[in-house]
Amino acid sequence: MNTEIMKFKHLEKWQSTLANCIRCGYCFEHCPLYKHTGWETDAPRAKIITAFGLLSKEIEPTRAAAHKLFSCFYCKRCEAACSSGVLLTEIFTDAKKDLLELGLCGPGTTSTTRTSCAKCLVCLAACPHEARSFDGKNIVTDPSRCQACGICIEVCPAGAATIENTFGTGRNELIDKAADFLASHKAAKAIVFACNWSYFPELQASTLPESEMTDKQYKILVNMCGGRLEPQLLMAPFLNNAWGVLAACCPDDDCQHGGNLRARKIIANLKNTFKTLEIDPDRIQMVQIPAGDKTLFQAEIDTFIARINTMGPIR
Amino acid sequence: MKTIDQTVLKNIVGENNIKTDPSDLYAYGSDASVHHAFPWAVVRPENTAQVQEILKYANQNLIPVIPRGSGSGMCGQTVPIHGGIVLDMKRMNKILEINLADVYCRVQPGVIDDDLNLALKQYGVFYPPTPASSRIATIGGEISNNASGVRSVKYGATRDAVLGMKVVLANGDLVTLGTRTRVEASGYQLHKLMVGSEGTLGVIVEATLSFVPLPEFRCMGIANFDSLQDAGETIGDIMASGTIPSMLELVDSVAIKAVNKTMNLGLKEVAAALIFEADGMVREAVDYEINKMTAICKKHRGKDIRSSYDSKERAKIFLGRKKLFPALSKYDDNLASTSLADDMAVPYSKMAEMAGKIHEIADRHNIVMTAYGHCGSGCMHTKILMDTRRKDQWASAKKAITEVYEFVRSVNGTTSAEHGIGLSKAQAFKIEKSDSLNMLAAIKTALDPNNILNPGKISQAPENWVTATNLRYSVNS
Repeated sequence: MNTEIMKFKHLEKWQSTLANCIRCGYCFEHCPLYKHTGWETDAPRAKIITAFGLLSKEIEPTRAAAHKLFSCFYCKRCEAACSSGVLLTEIFTDAKKDLLELGLCGPGTTSTTRTSCAKCLVCLAACPHEARSFDGKNIVTDPSRCQACGICIEVCPAGAATIENTFGTGRNELIDKAADFLASHKAAKAIVFACNWSYFPELQASTLPESEMTDKQYKILVNMCGGRLEPQLLMAPFLNNAWGVLAACCPDDDCQHGGNLRARKIIANLKNTFKTLEIDPDRIQMVQIPAGDKTLFQAEIDTFIARINTMGPIR
Repeated sequence: MKTIDQTVLKNIVGENNIKTDPSDLYAYGSDASVHHAFPWAVVRPENTAQVQEILKYANQNLIPVIPRGSGSGMCGQTVPIHGGIVLDMKRMNKILEINLADVYCRVQPGVIDDDLNLALKQYGVFYPPTPASSRIATIGGEISNNASGVRSVKYGATRDAVLGMKVVLANGDLVTLGTRTRVEASGYQLHKLMVGSEGTLGVIVEATLSFVPLPEFRCMGIANFDSLQDAGETIGDIMASGTIPSMLELVDSVAIKAVNKTMNLGLKEVAAALIFEADGMVREAVDYEINKMTAICKKHRGKDIRSSYDSKERAKIFLGRKKLFPALSKYDDNLASTSLADDMAVPYSKMAEMAGKIHEIADRHNIVMTAYGHCGSGCMHTKILMDTRRKDQWASAKKAITEVYEFVRSVNGTTSAEHGIGLSKAQAFKIEKSDSLNMLAAIKTALDPNNILNPGKISQAPENWVTATNLRYSVNS
């Protein structure tokens, strides 16, 4: 290989970092994209390898290569876990800037706007990353700024804001997964929605024998950011006979998207609705888990399950 | 490069389970080693029948097949230097059975080590070989490398825990090797042969593993030493004393400095530190082992000795060792931590001399090397920190590695304790096993006559690994 650097002026400064990544793969277990697809090519390590390949001219800057680097929810768990201290998402952002200059923009996980957009501009104000703007005709997203938090999707009254590649975190996908679990497990009674920072205390990529899976009382579904929780998603499990729903978000001031504040408001409103319907409001709860505290998360789940077991099913 | 009929592969695994785009192939060309090479396709089988079909096709068309777990190997075991089909086994990830009465579990090869232990924990048992990479390492990959870790001193390596397995051979035939019983005296123990074969003899599609009870008590201690010699003699004395530590780790001065430099842990910068641990079901028995090890440390001028049963205190004691791997990566922005000559094993009595030799060689060749490892099982790890862009640094590294292995052989040590051979250690391995290479070749030919299974590895690896195989780094000429 010969080092020949051109075109990638943002990526260039990361050259030694890209070489110093020891490629241990410890980032795999933390990446929601990898966990969803199971392909190594969707894991953070593969993005680093791809960036290195582009910089060293081992691979061409193609749409497929760009799609990899534009696919990231910026949960930054890979960075926290990286044994080499590589600032992965900063590298991805710089790679995106270079690829944009080459006319490649994903598609990746960048949020887009459908033609049904009413141009109310609500999403511009809601976007925590200043990725959305109005060009006089349409709402446009700057892919190098968009962190795919999905808050624009939840605030859009016209349902026009969207992320095409959801990697299993889309509202309907989560609703379907919850329904499947509640219908197929005898003991099933609760859905736990976790933001990716909650780092769920479950198996990473393996599955248990059938005999053990049937006894499970709850399922943890990763919805990325608490800011993406909305009433339809939170209420859907109750339509499938769930006894309760637990939402796990970051502690106050820890959420990089401000999503936990939105989640708290929504859950408070739902609790009021439950009271009106004479349903115990404790059936829907929010807990705040510091990053990576698996033990606390499990304890909160156990407490919640014990509480809804005293209530029984909703009649 | 041969042409791969993608339609055939798509018909076997479905079109969503094959990748052929160059950017995907590039990402699958690496593992945690210094090597890289492009495969021709990556496929993800879901079951044994699909693995059989893929191998039949590959064998008929003489296409290399490289089984792969999570790609966390450190010697290039899964780098496809002759191209071919990378068989990503991570979709076969089911824990099939946990049989408490007969004390075994059956798993598919893509099950993650930590996941298995999480599933076993609720029954008060664990699967002990567990390498440091257990959070991502697959059982199939661990078996293929005969992986082990800090507790191998008491509980053994993967080979000791594998009771049997199902393997798809190069021609697509499925065979059941080994047993589900604790002992077996019939025949050649072919399942043990598969352990450590690095995907060159067959594709493991199911494994039967033993497990052991989780100990009720665990106590960890640490002792500092002003001389590497004293620490080395302590290791030999502990192992000869009849004590069975559940962990015995050495950390040298370079390693301690690296941890302090990058993590600011404030560890005492001594010549060496030993971390020792005992575990068991009865506290008095654990006390006995810890007291004995403490006394031996004192005898060899160990100082600042402390030990604790408390899990938080144990975590504090182990922190310096745990943070060593990342510390070496962050040692210097211009130096990459490379896995070369990274896991030799030497007799206990030679551990101190080995560590000293590593320092002396590194100084002479103007590179940074450290010495640490699971000295309770004779395993000595090193990492070479170098500027991977500089050709002269590679030349120095090569000379240093050659000298390290010469020393290892001179004291009757071995090339690899737990990371395997792959590409980067093949040259030293071939010298060490020179009088049995014909036997290895005969076994390989008998099981894989067309040489399609992970070709170019272990005894087939190129002599001159630095220039004969692709390095993943950009090296300036």
